[in-house]
Amino acid sequence: MISFCSVSKSFSNGGEWAVQDVSLEIQTGETLVLLGSSGSGKTTLLRLVNRLIKPTSGKILLDGTDVATQNPVQLRRRIGYVFQGIGLFPHYSVAANIEIVPRLLDWPKEKRQKRACELMELVGLPPAEYADRYPDELSGGQQQRVGVARALATDPEYLLMDEPFGALDAITRDSLQQELISLKQRLRKTIVFVTHDIGEALRLGDRIAVMHRGRLEQIGSQDELLNHPKTEFVRSLFEKSSMPNHP
Amino acid sequence: MIEWFQFVATRLPELWVRTGEHILLTGTSTLIAIAIGIPLGLAASRLPRLQGIITGGVGIVQTIPSLAMLAMLLALLNKIGTTPAIIALVLYALLPIVRNALAGLTGVPAPIKEAADGIGMTRNQRLWLVELPLATPVIITGIQTAAVVGVGIATLSAFIGAGGLGQFINRGIALSNHQLILLGAVPAALLALAVDASITSVQWGLRRRRSARRGNRLDGLIRTLALSAPLFILATGCLAVWKPDLLSAGTTSSGDNNAPVIRIGSKNFTEQLILGEIMAQLIEQNTEMQVVRKFDLGGTMICHSALRNGEIDLYAEYTGTALTTVLKREVISNPNEAYRIVSEAYAKQFDLTWLSPFGFNNTYAITLRETDAQRWGIKSISELKSRASELRAGWTSEFSERPDGYPGLREHYGFKFATVRDLDTALMYEALVQEEVDVICAFATDGRIAAYHLQPLEDDLQFFPPYFAAPIISAATLDKHPELEKILDLVAGKISSETMQRLNSQVDRDKRSPAEVAREFLQSNILPSIQ
Repeated sequence: MISFCSVSKSFSNGGEWAVQDVSLEIQTGETLVLLGSSGSGKTTLLRLVNRLIKPTSGKILLDGTDVATQNPVQLRRRIGYVFQGIGLFPHYSVAANIEIVPRLLDWPKEKRQKRACELMELVGLPPAEYADRYPDELSGGQQQRVGVARALATDPEYLLMDEPFGALDAITRDSLQQELISLKQRLRKTIVFVTHDIGEALRLGDRIAVMHRGRLEQIGSQDELLNHPKTEFVRSLFEKSSMPNHP
Repeated sequence: MIEWFQFVATRLPELWVRTGEHILLTGTSTLIAIAIGIPLGLAASRLPRLQGIITGGVGIVQTIPSLAMLAMLLALLNKIGTTPAIIALVLYALLPIVRNALAGLTGVPAPIKEAADGIGMTRNQRLWLVELPLATPVIITGIQTAAVVGVGIATLSAFIGAGGLGQFINRGIALSNHQLILLGAVPAALLALAVDASITSVQWGLRRRRSARRGNRLDGLIRTLALSAPLFILATGCLAVWKPDLLSAGTTSSGDNNAPVIRIGSKNFTEQLILGEIMAQLIEQNTEMQVVRKFDLGGTMICHSALRNGEIDLYAEYTGTALTTVLKREVISNPNEAYRIVSEAYAKQFDLTWLSPFGFNNTYAITLRETDAQRWGIKSISELKSRASELRAGWTSEFSERPDGYPGLREHYGFKFATVRDLDTALMYEALVQEEVDVICAFATDGRIAAYHLQPLEDDLQFFPPYFAAPIISAATLDKHPELEKILDLVAGKISSETMQRLNSQVDRDKRSPAEVAREFLQSNILPSIQ
C-alpha cells in the first residue's frame, strides 16, 4: 500500500505548488491512474514515490514506512519504473537492458538470463529474435515492451508507469493497453499509472485520481467520477470526453 | 625523389631509433594525459564551480608557444631530455582530452540519466555503466586529437635533447639540408596519419560490438585487431628503443656494454656538429670509451645547464659567448686574456675545465651580399653608417639580445639599421641571398660566406670580442679519465679559421655529413701525426 499524507511539493522556494496538500491511498493489487493535463502535478506525485524528488512537506508511506527513511537506491530497486520517453540504455542490447537491475543486485548470470527470457516472452518479444538487438533497432512499441519487461525484472511489488504509451501511435497504444490489462490480471502488481488520456485512464484504472493544478480534484472508480463528480472540473472533463468525435 | 629514397635507405637504422623515440614520447605523454584529463573532465562535469577553473586552466596552457614552454620547463626542472619534453606534451594534450570528456559526459541525455537513477543505480554505477560508455566516442575523439597534435609537437622535443624525429628536422635546418629535414618531417607526418587511423579503427571496433556479439569468430577477431591498433604502434616504438640495432644489420660496432660512457653535446649549427664529431671520433679512436652523441641542443644555455647537471660531459664553447652570455661580463678584446678569465671563472663557479682552444676565431661578422659591397665600395662596418638607415638587418635571436651583439654594436658604431628581423641561423643566410634582408650577423667561419658569395665587413673599431672555440669538460669526468685531455689536445691549435670555414662549407654547400667531414679531416691532418 502506498499512502500520500498531506504531500506538497514546490520546485521554486515557496513559489508555485507543483503538488499541494495531496492525500490519497493506493491499495495493494490495484491499478490507480493519475489523470491530468501537463503541469497538473501527476508525474511529480509519481517521482515522489521512489524519491527521485523529495516532498516539501508531508509524507509518503510505502507499506507503512516513510520512504524518506529508506535508502533511495534500495528503495528504487524494489519499485519497477517505466519511463516517459522509454529511457532504455542505447548501448545495451535488449537482454542487457532487461537484466540491468538483477545485475545491480548481483544475481548469478544464469538466473538473470533465464529471467530476461521469461520476461521477453511475457511482453511478446521472442528472445531468440530480440535478445541481441539494440534499442535503436526496435519500433517505439517494441521499445516500450522492453521498458515494461525491465521494470518487472526483479518481480517488484510496485510498478510506476509515467505516460508509458504517450508517444506511440494509436494502434500500438491500443494493443499495449490490452496487454497491460492481461499482465495486470496475471501478475497482481500494485500499479500507479500516469496519463493525460482520459480513454486510457478509463480503460486501465481500477480507480482514477484526477489532478488539476497541483491539487487532487477527486479520487474514485469510473462510476463515481462519471456519475458523481465532486467538482466542476471533473464534471466538465468527463462530459467533454463523452462527446462524439473527440480525440 | 629516387635520390631521397636512397638517402633514406642509408639512414634507416637511425630513422628506426628516432621513430621509436618519437612514438614513445607521444604515447607516454598521451597516456599520462588520459590518466589526468579524464578525471579532470569528470570533476568539471560534476562540479560546475570547478568547471571554469579546469577548462580555463588547460586552455591557458595551450596559449603558451611550444618552444617557450620547453624553455620554461628546462629552467624549472634544470634538466634536459625526455622529462621536460613529456611534461610539455602532457600539458598540451590535456585540453582536447578534458574538453571532450566534459562534452561527452554532459552530453548524455537527461532522460537516460534519470532512467539510471530511477531503476536504482548508485552514482558510481550510473557513471561506469551509463555515462562513461555513452561518452566514450566523444572522449576517444579527444584522445585522437591530442595524440595527432602530440606527434607534431613532439618534433620540437629535439631542441632539448629528447630525441625523436625532430632531431632530423633540427639538423636539417641547421645544415640547410632539405633531405635531412624531409627525413624527419615525412615520417612524422606518416606517423601522425597512422596514429589518427589507429584511433579511428578503435572507434570502428567499438561500433562493431553489436555485430561481433552476434557474428562469427572472424568478426570478433577483426574487431579485436581494430581495437588494439594503437597498441601495435606503441609496441613498434618500444621495440625500436629496446632493439635499436634491429635495422643496422650488424654494421654498428657491437660496443662493450661495460665500457665507460662519455656523452658529448653540441649546439644546433654546422660548426658545432663538426666539432662534436671531431671530439667524438678522436675519443672513439683513442680509447675504449663508448661515446654517446647528444647533439643539436637548442642553444648556449641549454648546453651549459646540461653540462652542469651532468647530462653531458663535454661540448665545444666559444670564449666570447662564455664571457658575455654565461658569465654576463664585459667584453674583452684580448683573446688570451679572455680565455684566461673564462677558464678561471668556469673552474671556480661551475667546476668545469676549459681545454686548449681548437685554433680558430669564430667571431661575428657583419655581412653583406658581395654585389652590394662592391657596388657601394664598402669594406668595413663604419663605412655602413651613411647607408644603415636604408638597410634591413636579419639577426639571430641571440645576436639581437646579447650585449656583444646588436645592442653593443649600435652603441659602439653609433648607428642603427632601418628594420631588424630575428631569424634562425640557417634561414638568416637564405634571407640575405633571397634579398629579404640586406645585412646579417654571419659567423666568421661559416662555410656559407664563400658558398653564397657574401662579403663579411672588417670590424674596424674592434667591437666584437674574440670567439675562440675550445672543448669544455666537467672536472669530475676529467678526474676519472685524465687521458681525455691529451687526446683532445691532438686537435688543439690545428683548426685555423680557414680550415673551419672549409669544413663548414663541405657540409653546408656540398651536403656532406658532419661525421664524414670530421673523419676526413682527422684522417688527413691528425692521424698521420699520431703514427
